[in-house]
Amino acid sequence: MKLLKFGMRFWITLTSVFSFLVGWAMLAHAPKPVQASSLQSTSSVAPLPTLAPLQPLNFSSAGGIQQQQFSVVQPAAPAPSFFSSAPVFNSGGS
Amino acid sequence: MQTLEFRAMSTNVLIAAEGHDWADYGLQATRAYIDEAERRFSRFLPDSELSQLNRAAGTWFEVSDDLMDMLEQSLDFYKETDGLFDPSILPDLKRVGYDKSIDEIRAQGKVVDTPASSRTPRPAFSEMKLDLAGRRAYLPAGMEIDLGGIAKGWIIEKAADLLSSYSAVCAVSIGGDMVFEGYLMDGSDWRVNVEDPRDPTQTAAAIHVGPGAVVTSSVAKRSWNQAGQTRHHLIDPRTGEPAQTDWLSVTVIAPQITTAEVYAKSLLIGGEGQAASLATQRPEIAYLAIKSDGTLFGSENSKEFLNDFSYI
Repeated sequence: MKLLKFGMRFWITLTSVFSFLVGWAMLAHAPKPVQASSLQSTSSVAPLPTLAPLQPLNFSSAGGIQQQQFSVVQPAAPAPSFFSSAPVFNSGGS
Repeated sequence: MQTLEFRAMSTNVLIAAEGHDWADYGLQATRAYIDEAERRFSRFLPDSELSQLNRAAGTWFEVSDDLMDMLEQSLDFYKETDGLFDPSILPDLKRVGYDKSIDEIRAQGKVVDTPASSRTPRPAFSEMKLDLAGRRAYLPAGMEIDLGGIAKGWIIEKAADLLSSYSAVCAVSIGGDMVFEGYLMDGSDWRVNVEDPRDPTQTAAAIHVGPGAVVTSSVAKRSWNQAGQTRHHLIDPRTGEPAQTDWLSVTVIAPQITTAEVYAKSLLIGGEGQAASLATQRPEIAYLAIKSDGTLFGSENSKEFLNDFSYI
């Protein structure tokens, strides 16, 4: 009985030490995680085109009674979207 | 989002759908539908249903449900716009040189050899008769119709219906006329750049829209030279000649694309003088016009679609 207990303890100790060493070796050889700061420093940002200013815009009410002048401010660049990369559509007749 | 680009109806097509496998199946099915619809309704294909209807002028002709729907809508819009939208201007279109596809005209250097001639009397579009129960249409002798002012929008609408059965978030754009279904996953609107008709590589205004339609009519894209004169495809039904208008292009935003398409053309032909009266017919539409001097003119409700603007 004593011999069996000793054998069991020896086996458990041996496998634990072996598993620990194997895990250590695997982690030591695994690729390092990329740091957020290094991502920022390596990513490139495409320059946005500069658009020419638009002419004044006349808005009319449906009845043509009121007319107001506006100046269209250049559209802001759309914020990058995590969910979708929907294309920007062009409309200009065909 | 998956996209598919190809060429149909002598113009560029862009369709897009959110998702993966199903979206891809949807894009392929939509492309097949658009190709088939072009074969059915093009006036440049002698075997199309529309060409057969035109050849049958003077007799009753059995039409499909789809063509009947287009003819019925055309008649309603003809009355609503006091004839500014008129599909029966085909003889005038041919007379000013648009008797072949725009791709063929471009291939021959945008110069047509059709001799200039004066207008001949023709039946009014209101004389077309429709037998809804019998699914028959009657064009009076001498009438030829071109559904270019409505068929593209009608096809886009059906194509978007089909694509939305595969993906609830999708878009169909043919030659810059487009329908959007659903909202983008991040909650943002669809973005549309309105081209400057004086230089289509430039954007005149950027707009954002939800589900609905955006259509632009322009005198700049389909133009050619006939006997030294510059011609374009937007015929003023009152004169039978290419419209002499102070607006180079009109962009219409509307819930329904057929309405947007008809009103973009009607507003362009009617110009600033008739814009107010036309717009009161359809308060749900917003329009943005670009004049030949580069200034923009918009309906009051178009402000909500512009990305940004300020008072001056």
